[in-house]
Amino acid sequence: MAVAEATATGQRVKTVHFVRLKLRLMRNGLRGQPWRIALFISGVVVGVGAAVGGFGLFTAAAVTGGRTGLVMTGFAGAGLTLSWLLMPLLFFGVDETIDPARFALLPVRRGVLLRGMLAAAGVGIPSLATAVALLGSVVGTAVRHGPVAGVALVGAVLALLTCVVGSRALTSAFASMLRSRRVRDLAAILLAVLASSIAPLQFAVSSLISHGDLDRAARIAGVLAWTPLGAPYVAAADAADGRWGTALVRLAIAAGSVGALLVWWFGTLESAMIGVAAGARSTNRSGPPVRAVVALFPALLRVLRPGRFSGLVAREWRYWWRDPRRRANLFSVTIAGAVLPAVLRVGPAAEHGGTPLPLAVAFSALMAALVLANQFGLDGTAYALHLLVGVPGRVELRARALGLVLLMVPIQVLVTVAVAVLTGAAAQLPAALGVVVAGVGLSAGASALASVLAPYPFPESTNPFAVSGGTGGLRGLLALAGSLSAAAVLAPLLLFAVLTDGPVAGVVVLLAGLVWGGAGLVIGTHVAGDILDRRGPEILAAVTPRR
Amino acid sequence: MTESALVLRGLVKRFDRVTAVAGVDLDVPTGSFYGLLGPNGAGKTTTLSMAVGLLRPDAGKAWVLGHDVWSDPVVAKGLLGALPDSVRMFDRLTGGELLAYVGLLRGMETGVIETRTAELLDVLGLADAGRTLVVDYSAGMKKKIGLACALLHAPRLLVLDEPFEAVDPVSAALIRDILNRYVAGGGTVIFSSHVMEVVERLCSHVAILAGGEIRTVGTLEEVRQGRPLEDVFVSVVGGRVATGAELSWL
Repeated sequence: MAVAEATATGQRVKTVHFVRLKLRLMRNGLRGQPWRIALFISGVVVGVGAAVGGFGLFTAAAVTGGRTGLVMTGFAGAGLTLSWLLMPLLFFGVDETIDPARFALLPVRRGVLLRGMLAAAGVGIPSLATAVALLGSVVGTAVRHGPVAGVALVGAVLALLTCVVGSRALTSAFASMLRSRRVRDLAAILLAVLASSIAPLQFAVSSLISHGDLDRAARIAGVLAWTPLGAPYVAAADAADGRWGTALVRLAIAAGSVGALLVWWFGTLESAMIGVAAGARSTNRSGPPVRAVVALFPALLRVLRPGRFSGLVAREWRYWWRDPRRRANLFSVTIAGAVLPAVLRVGPAAEHGGTPLPLAVAFSALMAALVLANQFGLDGTAYALHLLVGVPGRVELRARALGLVLLMVPIQVLVTVAVAVLTGAAAQLPAALGVVVAGVGLSAGASALASVLAPYPFPESTNPFAVSGGTGGLRGLLALAGSLSAAAVLAPLLLFAVLTDGPVAGVVVLLAGLVWGGAGLVIGTHVAGDILDRRGPEILAAVTPRR
Repeated sequence: MTESALVLRGLVKRFDRVTAVAGVDLDVPTGSFYGLLGPNGAGKTTTLSMAVGLLRPDAGKAWVLGHDVWSDPVVAKGLLGALPDSVRMFDRLTGGELLAYVGLLRGMETGVIETRTAELLDVLGLADAGRTLVVDYSAGMKKKIGLACALLHAPRLLVLDEPFEAVDPVSAALIRDILNRYVAGGGTVIFSSHVMEVVERLCSHVAILAGGEIRTVGTLEEVRQGRPLEDVFVSVVGGRVATGAELSWL
């Protein structure tokens, strides 16, 4: 093989060897296999068709220019990148013609290997077709704006790199993750998540199309243009309109994301190589001694000073991710929190400006902390440790609530901002954020109370969706009652937020929301903490599964 | 008379109609290696759970080195290390993370936690497990990490429920050695078991529990009176150890 020959003859290994290796492997794969040749030819035909179509689309978009051109470029570019990222994961799997693990024993320097792998990844029908299609934007820009085509060329190269490296990084990271038990737990959930998010997505897209709404499309394209998905494609349009600064920033976004993807991909490549060298026990390798306290804290929480409270928060974070039941809960709450506000905004009342934003986000905020309503049931008999150590009830409940709040509030804020921008409700944003913070805090407080008043056991099974029959459902009603009372407490603030408008009222709601949510959390955990101190052993008994 | 490390007075626990523990009194002298023997269902786990504050007794009290477990829990629980049986751990952490977590909950200094965690994992042969989560440990490894959690804060009293169950012979010898050194250093151990051999080899004191009551109690010699412990146990607990005319078809 080319690389092995090169190393054997003492010749310096260069990137071109990897490309030759890839081409030779492709040719050998076709030899004497009629159906493979047929498949290859049909692949070429599809590729040529896609290349020509894409070339036409991007050329037309660049020549049209203006807002329509921006929408066309933004959507086409984001669609292209997304299909590069998702298609291999969902349908095809990735072309592993050149397996990095094969090079583990060859004396090839790391940098050369990585460059070679990158070049080899770029050789193939999809990359060529994409390159041709992207050339369209360069040609189109050159026709209309002349020298600005340089920007288009840089953008096209960055876009191609994003596609190739991104799909490589995603698939190889996913492949190496699938080897561990943790992710096998996850895979089932992920499929459920994908299935459940397709319907709302269809809904959103079809409503956009049926409204034939260029304004809204332009807004979405405007957002896409600031993400790595769209940035490299629309930079040339900005430059053509004379916004050179914007164009440069977009190119920088694209370049930065290519860099980040490269680092990520190279990281997974190296671990893939070590994985084979170390054999089957690779996931258990002891490696350099890790400091236990540091290891307990997730990277984002390392700013905290290690102690009882921060230790509890750190363990909660680890558990939201590592415990399959908790993870399933977290996913469903997150998805509901993302979908519900969007649907309420563009749903039935859309003709009249849609549901007011603060109301649209209130439901998901109130639901966010419901996952804590049986937090002791989630831990099961493991709670015995806290009893043995004698963790004070308030410390325990506040740490648990804070762990969830630190997870949920950023997600909810992000969703609220995105929905506000996309549905043209930016003016209502401060008030909506106030409602979100208040809702999450209040429901966390109510859930703390529910969790000490009506704990119930989950079966000790690995299936995250298993619930014990009998009383579990009934006690779940109490959690519902808890969230209803949280809703009742939130109602005055919500009413004020919906009835008023203007920036001053918005800021008032935001500040009041912070106070509201904070007070709900503090009071709820204060009362619940007292109960927990008195009823600890009873709660342990209540969450112990019957055998 | 030396002060008792653990004192139980009149502990009673009923589940529905069944009386699991019917008034247990026990004095565990400081520095003793105490074996709590009993057949299955005798109430060993229930008694020890009440002694460490996991299960609220219907009547009776428990003191750890003079501190009431139920009315003065903070001090009592600080002096106590426990390995409960049939209780899960926070097993979705690695061994090191679990120990660090226990240490932080106990309010220990980070540096001390690091040193002791490394040493415990090393001695117990768990350092090789690396990034493996405790949930994926074998039964014996789980017992060992549980013991490490109980030892981490250097308690004065260790309460261990079935510490030798599901443990392989090598690990059992290691645990015996650790516990012997702990007692030699002035610590007190009480553990439950139904394996006579282990109790006979390790313990200075023995109590035999059956039907929720203490049947026999004293130093090993007092209880044995020259006979093998197994004979004493069978005669105290009752029950047949030989067959008569039945099963002749075997």
